[in-house]
Amino acid sequence: MMKTFRTMLKTELKLSLKGMDMFIFAICMPLVVLIILGVIYGNKAAAHGAEYSFLEQSFGGIASIAICAGGVMGLPLVVSDYRNKKILKRFRVTPVSPVMILSVQVAIYTTYSLVSLLLVFVVARFMFGLRLQGNIVYFIGGYLFVMLSIFSIGMMVGGIAPNTKIAGIIASILYFPMLIFSGATLPYEVMPQALRKVADVLPLTWGIKLLKAASLGLPVDSVLIPIIVLIAIAIVCIGISLRFFKWE
Amino acid sequence: MEDVIKVRQLSKSYKDLAAVKDLSLSVKHGTVFGLLGANGAGKSSAIECILGTKKYDSGMVSILGMDPQAKRKLLFENVGVQFQEANYQDKITVGELCEVTESLYKKAVDYRNLLGRFGILSKEKNTVSELSGGERQRLFIVLALLPDPEVVFLDELTTGLDTKARHEVWKILSNLKAKGLTILLTSHFMDEVEALCDTICILKKGQTVFYGTVPEAISKSPHDTFEDAYLWYSDEGADDDENI
Repeated sequence: MMKTFRTMLKTELKLSLKGMDMFIFAICMPLVVLIILGVIYGNKAAAHGAEYSFLEQSFGGIASIAICAGGVMGLPLVVSDYRNKKILKRFRVTPVSPVMILSVQVAIYTTYSLVSLLLVFVVARFMFGLRLQGNIVYFIGGYLFVMLSIFSIGMMVGGIAPNTKIAGIIASILYFPMLIFSGATLPYEVMPQALRKVADVLPLTWGIKLLKAASLGLPVDSVLIPIIVLIAIAIVCIGISLRFFKWE
Repeated sequence: MEDVIKVRQLSKSYKDLAAVKDLSLSVKHGTVFGLLGANGAGKSSAIECILGTKKYDSGMVSILGMDPQAKRKLLFENVGVQFQEANYQDKITVGELCEVTESLYKKAVDYRNLLGRFGILSKEKNTVSELSGGERQRLFIVLALLPDPEVVFLDELTTGLDTKARHEVWKILSNLKAKGLTILLTSHFMDEVEALCDTICILKKGQTVFYGTVPEAISKSPHDTFEDAYLWYSDEGADDDENI
């Protein structure tokens, strides 16, 4: 079991890095957004009299860009591509389980996300003087939790999309709105009221609210609803992806 | 001798089109079974139903005493499969593909040894897409043999190989058979079938039109060579209905 996981992870990670797209979307893109927001807003306070800066307020959002890229773009596309190329068909006549195949891909996009988180933190800390005012354990716990929830959406799309084309369309429908309107790139706080209503429909918006609360040390009662929403998404999507997993 | 593969009254149709009809066969331990027929006669459908990658409408299948759909993970520790099309990840190298495949099994043979026997060890660092058709074909036979299986399914075994390479593959398979490996194969080369198969089954439009040994096939036909006898049974070329 562990041998299978390790060997598959090593090879798939190599193949993924050769592909370059996740390096661009999950590693470079968050840094670019960070630098743009940092240059525009500098160390300005988030609001008049706020105890944290605008950038500190945006940190949770920027850190989630990699989760969004890997979860709803990378994951579903690689799984449906492997189905399309009949690689899954070949796996089907070996002892490997769907859980193993999906876990390896989840581990790869987890790696991208954690590397991105670390880079974003280091650059924000040293270029823009970011302080993590909340509890770091809560923040990392929250980050992993948001990742699980968003990745489960990608697992579901990858697990059941009938072909690569449909997987690509669904991935785009999920990815671009979440990237722009969930507060990952365009800060939630600068959105007009009407746009915020749209944002609140997106799962990642709830994830970012949670990360924001953890990074800024906001009170616990503000995170209860995001947690419930994200747990519900994870249970439903993981359940569907395993129950209806298609080899071909 | 025990039956390693047993199929009873297997039928499979797509909408109104019968791809396989009432197929029954049994393959004994350490023998080679050839499933023959023109393109579209139902060979691949039959193999996929036997392996459990396609659902069949009626009938019974057992491999090594197990139902392939119910006991998939257990069964495929001991069964190797080479499909007609080669399926692999973009940019994956020969070595990586072997390493990953090896890791899927509890026990596996050394893949470098097998690559060497099939004459492609020097390609270990190449990507699979760089290989020639024949090299890729040999690679996928290697992958099927990696788990040191008791049974292998080889769909279109030597398509794309030159004569020398085909003879080498036959020699390796004959040796493995002598050691007790059971083989089910499909092939379009009748010399190959004569050289390797103990029992054959010829399909035509999903129906079994001959079942027995190669000598029996010749003697029950009006022809003297197996090639002619096969054409007589399968009526190859007489039909345009090749899209099953």
